[in-house]
Amino acid sequence: MTTNPAELAAQPYSGEKARLSRHFDYLILVLAFFLYIGSFHLNVALTVGDWDFWLDWKDRQWWPLITPLMMITFPAAVQSLLWERFRLPMGATLCMCCLLIGSWITRVFAYHYWNYFPINMVLPATMLPSALVLDVILMLTNSMTFTAIFGSAAFALLFYPSNWPMFGMFHVPVEYGGAQLTIADLFGFQYIRAGMPEYLRIIERGTLRTYGQYATPLASFFSALLCTLMYTLWWHLGKWFATVRYLKKI
Amino acid sequence: MAVTTLEKLDGTTNAGNLPWYLKDLYKYLGGFAVITVIYVGLRLYQGAYAVATGLDSTLPEYDAYWMRLFYGELITLMSFTAGLWSYLWFTRDRNPAALTPKAELRRHFALTMWISIYTFAVYWAGSYFAEQDNSWHQVVIRDTPFTANHIVVFYFSFPFYIMMGGSAWLYARTRLPTFAQGISLPLTLAVFGPFMILVSVGFNEWGHTFWFREEFFAAPIHWGFVIGGWFALAVGGILLQEVARMTELLDKLEDAS
Repeated sequence: MTTNPAELAAQPYSGEKARLSRHFDYLILVLAFFLYIGSFHLNVALTVGDWDFWLDWKDRQWWPLITPLMMITFPAAVQSLLWERFRLPMGATLCMCCLLIGSWITRVFAYHYWNYFPINMVLPATMLPSALVLDVILMLTNSMTFTAIFGSAAFALLFYPSNWPMFGMFHVPVEYGGAQLTIADLFGFQYIRAGMPEYLRIIERGTLRTYGQYATPLASFFSALLCTLMYTLWWHLGKWFATVRYLKKI
Repeated sequence: MAVTTLEKLDGTTNAGNLPWYLKDLYKYLGGFAVITVIYVGLRLYQGAYAVATGLDSTLPEYDAYWMRLFYGELITLMSFTAGLWSYLWFTRDRNPAALTPKAELRRHFALTMWISIYTFAVYWAGSYFAEQDNSWHQVVIRDTPFTANHIVVFYFSFPFYIMMGGSAWLYARTRLPTFAQGISLPLTLAVFGPFMILVSVGFNEWGHTFWFREEFFAAPIHWGFVIGGWFALAVGGILLQEVARMTELLDKLEDAS
C-alpha cells in the first residue's frame, strides 16, 4: 500500500465510479457539441459571415484577413478551458468541427434546398488545418505565449493555402458582356440576392489591389499579426467566462 | 410504483436496467426527439408555404399562414414556460442538505441533461435558423419585422431556449445543495447572456427600419446577438463547478464493481 499522498491522489477510478465518470463524459460531449455549434456559428455568421456565405465575397484582400481573425476567437477561449483545466489539446479542432458541421447543414438545407442557391455558391471555407496546427502547437509548447505568437500566425497563414484547392477554380477570369469577371463574380450576378445590392459587396477596395499578386500574402500576414492579439484576448475571455464563483445575490 | 422517502433520498430507483445515475436518460432522449420534431416540422412548414404565402405581409394569406403561426407560438411558449417553471418551483426540494451522495450525483446528471437540452435548443436558434435568416432575406425584401423566418427564429427559437435555460437554472437552484447555497455565476451568465439575444431583436429591427433593403450579416446592428452568444462560454464554468462537487461526492461513495 502506498503512503505517498501524490500517488494516492492520482489513482484512477475503477468499477462503478469509472463507469459513472465515463457516462458523464459522454453527456458532456453531446452538450459541448451543440453548445459550440450554436454559439460559435452565431459568432462567425454575424461577424464574418458574408465572406463565408458567398463565393463572390471570397476575395484576396478582406476574406483572408477577417476570416482567421474572427475564427480564432472561440478556439482560443475553449483551449483555455480544455487545456488548462483538463489537459485536452483539442479546443480549436472541436470548435472548428462544430462550426463546419453547423455551416454545412445550413448551407445545404437553408440556402440550397430552400432558396435554390447552387451549393458551389455557398460553400463554407475551412479552418480545420489551421485549428489542428493551433492545437498541436499548444500541446507541444504548453505555453499560451508561444501558441499566441506561433500558433496564431500559423492559423492565419494556413488559411488561404488550405482553401485554395476548393475555391481557386472560381477565380478563373472570364469575359462576359464585354467586361472581365471571375467565375465567382458571375455566380453573384446570375443568382440575384434581394438583400445584397452590389455596393454592399466589400471586396478588393482601395489601392491594395494595385499590389497584384502580393495582396493576398499581405492580407495573410496582417491577419497573422491581428490573430496573435485576438488569441490572447480570447484566451483570457475564455478563462473569465469559465469562472467558478458563487454569488450571494444577483 | 410509489417511491419511498428512503429511495428518494438514496437516489437508487431506476428505470429499466439503467444505472441509478442515468435514471433520467429516457426523458433526456425524449427531449431531444421532441425538439427535433418541432424544428423539422417548422422547417418543412416554411418549405411548403414561405414562397407561396410569405413574400408580402399585406396579403390576407400572410395573416392566415404566418401571423396565426406567430400567435400560436406565443400562446404555446407562454403556457409551457409558466407550467414548467411553476412545476420546478413548487416541486422544489425543501431540504437539499439531506440528500445522500448518490441522490445528489444523480441530480448532477439530471442538471447536465437539462443544460444539454438547452444547448440543443441554442443550436437550432443560433446556428440553423439564424443563418437561414440571411438566406431568406436574399429572397424577400422585408416589409415587416414578422417575416416567415423571423417568426421561427426570433419569436419561437429564442424564447424556447430561454425557457430551457431558465429551467436548468431553476433545477439547479432548487435541487442541488451547491447551487442552492450560492448563486452560480457561470450558470447565471450562461442563461442570462443568451437571454439578451432576444432583447437585441429590438435593436436589430429598429436598425433595419433604416436599412430595410440590405442584409449585411456582419453589420454592427447584429453585434448585440454576437455578444449575447459569447456568454455561452460560461457553460465551461458550470461544468467545472459540477466536476469539483461530483469528485467530492464520489469520494464519499463505497467502491462497487
